[in-house]
Amino acid sequence: MKPVPWQQPARRRSELGMIVLVLLLTGGLYVLAGLGQGGGLPAHIAPFFALVLALMLAAHVALRRLAPHADPVLLPLAALLNGMGYVFIAGLDSTEASAQATWTAIGIACFIATLAFFPQASNLERYRYTIALVGIGLLVLPLVPHIGEDINGARLWVHIGPLSFQPEEFAKVALGIFFASVLAERADLLSTGTRRIGRWLVLEPRYLAPLLVAWGISLVILLAENDLGSSFLFFTLLVSLLWVATGRWAYLGLGAGLFSLGTVFALDVVHHAQTRVQSWLHPWSHFATSGYQIIEGWFALAAGGMWGLGPGQGNPQVIPEASTDFILASIGEEIGLVGLAALLICYLLIVGSGLRVAVRSQRSFSTLLATGLSLLLGVQVFVVAGGITRLIPITGITLPFVSYGGSSLVSNYILLAILLRISNDNANDSALAAGRELFALGSSAGGEGARAGAGRQTEVVAL
Amino acid sequence: MNGINRRVRLAGAAACLLILALFVQLNYLQVFHATALNDNPLNTRDVIAQFSQPRGAIISADGVTLAQSVPSKDQYKYQREYPEGPLFASVTGYFSFIYGTDGLEHEYNSALSETDASVTLPTSLEQIKNFFTTQPLPDDLHLTVLSWLQQIAANQLDGRDGAVVAIDPSTGGVLAMYSNPTYDPNLLASHNPSVEEKEWQALNTNPAKPLLAASYRERFFPGSTFKVITSAAVYDHKAALANKVVPVMTGLVLPDTAGQVLHNFAGEACGGNLLQLFTVSCDTGFAKVGLELGGNDLAAEANSFGWDKVPPIDLPGAAASYFPPAQSFFENAGALAKSAIGQESVQAVPLSLALDVAGIANGGTIMAPHLMASITGAQGQTVSSYQPHPWLKATSEATAEKLTKLMLSVVNSPNGTGVEARVPGVEVAGKTGTAQTGGPYIETWFVAFAPVPNPKIAVAVLVENQPPADEYQGGTIAAPVAKAIIQAYLQKESS
Repeated sequence: MKPVPWQQPARRRSELGMIVLVLLLTGGLYVLAGLGQGGGLPAHIAPFFALVLALMLAAHVALRRLAPHADPVLLPLAALLNGMGYVFIAGLDSTEASAQATWTAIGIACFIATLAFFPQASNLERYRYTIALVGIGLLVLPLVPHIGEDINGARLWVHIGPLSFQPEEFAKVALGIFFASVLAERADLLSTGTRRIGRWLVLEPRYLAPLLVAWGISLVILLAENDLGSSFLFFTLLVSLLWVATGRWAYLGLGAGLFSLGTVFALDVVHHAQTRVQSWLHPWSHFATSGYQIIEGWFALAAGGMWGLGPGQGNPQVIPEASTDFILASIGEEIGLVGLAALLICYLLIVGSGLRVAVRSQRSFSTLLATGLSLLLGVQVFVVAGGITRLIPITGITLPFVSYGGSSLVSNYILLAILLRISNDNANDSALAAGRELFALGSSAGGEGARAGAGRQTEVVAL
Repeated sequence: MNGINRRVRLAGAAACLLILALFVQLNYLQVFHATALNDNPLNTRDVIAQFSQPRGAIISADGVTLAQSVPSKDQYKYQREYPEGPLFASVTGYFSFIYGTDGLEHEYNSALSETDASVTLPTSLEQIKNFFTTQPLPDDLHLTVLSWLQQIAANQLDGRDGAVVAIDPSTGGVLAMYSNPTYDPNLLASHNPSVEEKEWQALNTNPAKPLLAASYRERFFPGSTFKVITSAAVYDHKAALANKVVPVMTGLVLPDTAGQVLHNFAGEACGGNLLQLFTVSCDTGFAKVGLELGGNDLAAEANSFGWDKVPPIDLPGAAASYFPPAQSFFENAGALAKSAIGQESVQAVPLSLALDVAGIANGGTIMAPHLMASITGAQGQTVSSYQPHPWLKATSEATAEKLTKLMLSVVNSPNGTGVEARVPGVEVAGKTGTAQTGGPYIETWFVAFAPVPNPKIAVAVLVENQPPADEYQGGTIAAPVAKAIIQAYLQKESS
């Protein structure tokens, strides 16, 4: 009898194995970085191992309990990225490193909480308007006087008491959920024209409202908060989800058109955008000012070359924002093209696993949500890395799981939890389907198979 | 659902393409374009790497650390320190992030920054541990300079502008080399660019030019110290002139000058044979000797004593003393007469004058000057040590002996100009110099070596910007400095 997909503690076993591997990899990297910096073994090597192990085991045990059939590679990949990021942040700034460790713990806690609060992805759908409101509320939060703060020309930060965070990071997950649920419901309405104008059937304008609202939101963010990266991220998210949901290429075309329009407008009006584009097109002639960061980033990458200078052997401190926006350059300096390729492959695997979760889902909301979240992550990586390597202008957003930054870390762990939740749903759904099949088979043929099938079904239901 | 899944897969393919684009661009930056980026003049990573490595120490002959790298908490990992501050600035130079290196820091940069090449693959557990934990260390530079003698030189100058150079005549090893004004290399080595820039600005706008070490980078009018060379020319080229008696005069009408008269210092009258002229530093007498000697012989002698040649010292930017070419005296005998007493356009670097008297002390052979005694590796093993070798055969042993007698007379004769350089129980040979600079101040010199016979130290002392007076100030101002150096060194040597 072929193995039944839902009866797989093996998935968790292989996850555990990979977590151990990740522990060895990041621990080894941490030790090498400490030695490379000439300080001997890192001072907190034992607590480091203990903390990473404890956090990863907590997440792992939570998955065993709350989503036992979820995809096994997502958590170890995130852990590897998080661990690598920590090692490089620790090399740059020890206070940032301890903050990052705290944020990792909070991220894992939120990861577990997300899994616990939402036993099924469809629970998210139920709260979509609340979530959307929260998302938009978070987006405008930095604009509120007294709590918002400008950093590097962009108004992205919120300070409430001792807490400071970038609400945009959470908003992107919230809006992802909202878009997915709206589109799951209205995909049919949005895919065919219902109003006749002359010879053409065109879309009912009110169905287009979400697209326009999203475009409006992204423009508002761009203008009010100077956050080019996030507005691009939101816009791509919505347009690609529209296309995936409806299958209408026209949406991609329309999206590209609106985006160009927005870009032209932004370049005309937003000074911040002009500077970014100037330093993108002519970084060398702006070396002393806006081009400095990108060129120092290049020098770091070039110094790293194929194999890198070795962990702890580089001088990443030269680059401004080395631990956040430009952490990729710091990593490329010390572990080279080979290390960066491995890093990119990690992201590709996460995005790929996320999309696999999307494809396997039987519910259109889950499919769209998993697609949206995976693409968010992938596009974010491209926007950051493309900015550093000058494929596109620099926009200050963080590298998921790797960059220093609490909001980014926590929101990405929540994103991961949702992907895993959907993945677990898929396994349950297919187990149910398989159970029904077996049950049907069993009732006609009778005998052991039927009892086994029934038993499994109850087990599944009990979950 | 199938349509959706197809589009999700397409979106996945698009994500792959984006990551691929990143990978291609990273290949371009990290591999294909990397050399160009690494060599870009805007790229300061090399310098930063140097600042992030430990750098070898510079250690004086008496074991005092003159420069060292200590771990620092900022972005460069190591801070260059000069524990002796301004005392050795003209020797060690500086190690600056913005302004590069100077002095020994520049000359021995590769030895100080290069790490031990003898790193082998580890074969035992202990070696593996060391392989990962011990940093390859750079070499240390050990000098011939004595910290305590340098300190005496600084104390003796007592803030006055000038220079002291002391050399071991038999090896060319520099025992002390101090210049005033000096500077604090710690400020130029600061990792705070504004501190660095401010100090650099201040040093470069200072009219006394602290960065231009008076001891080996600046030329001064040598005054009567040049009479040593003129006397050497007499012995080497026209020995008969040594015994010829020049009549006593107060002034000499210079030929080819339309009646210009050269007067003796303070209007004195003097004359006699070479020994008498030398002892009292008679200007009119030496001018006459120079005229009889001729431009060719005088220029040739100056050249064989290393004038117009940059001393091969292990420091960057050393200057050469200047003596005009022989043809410049053609139909300009007045200039020849003045040049013979160290006036006109003759200019001397304190280091060169010290080398000249060191050559006389060493039987006519000038040893190549050097500061480096040895370079040691991280385990204290000697990587290389300096082998003394001659620079120039300035003159014969016989001439050197005769010149020594002249110089002894300057210190020992009751009417000698250098009586203040006398050291009890030690025979000191010396020569004073007092040079008008054209401005309101004069420069005072004393060059000397001791003990005779078998000299162990040769000294050149310059004290600048002294108000003129009615006496041979080389003898009253510079000679006591030389005496203190010689006395201290010989006492320490014999004990």
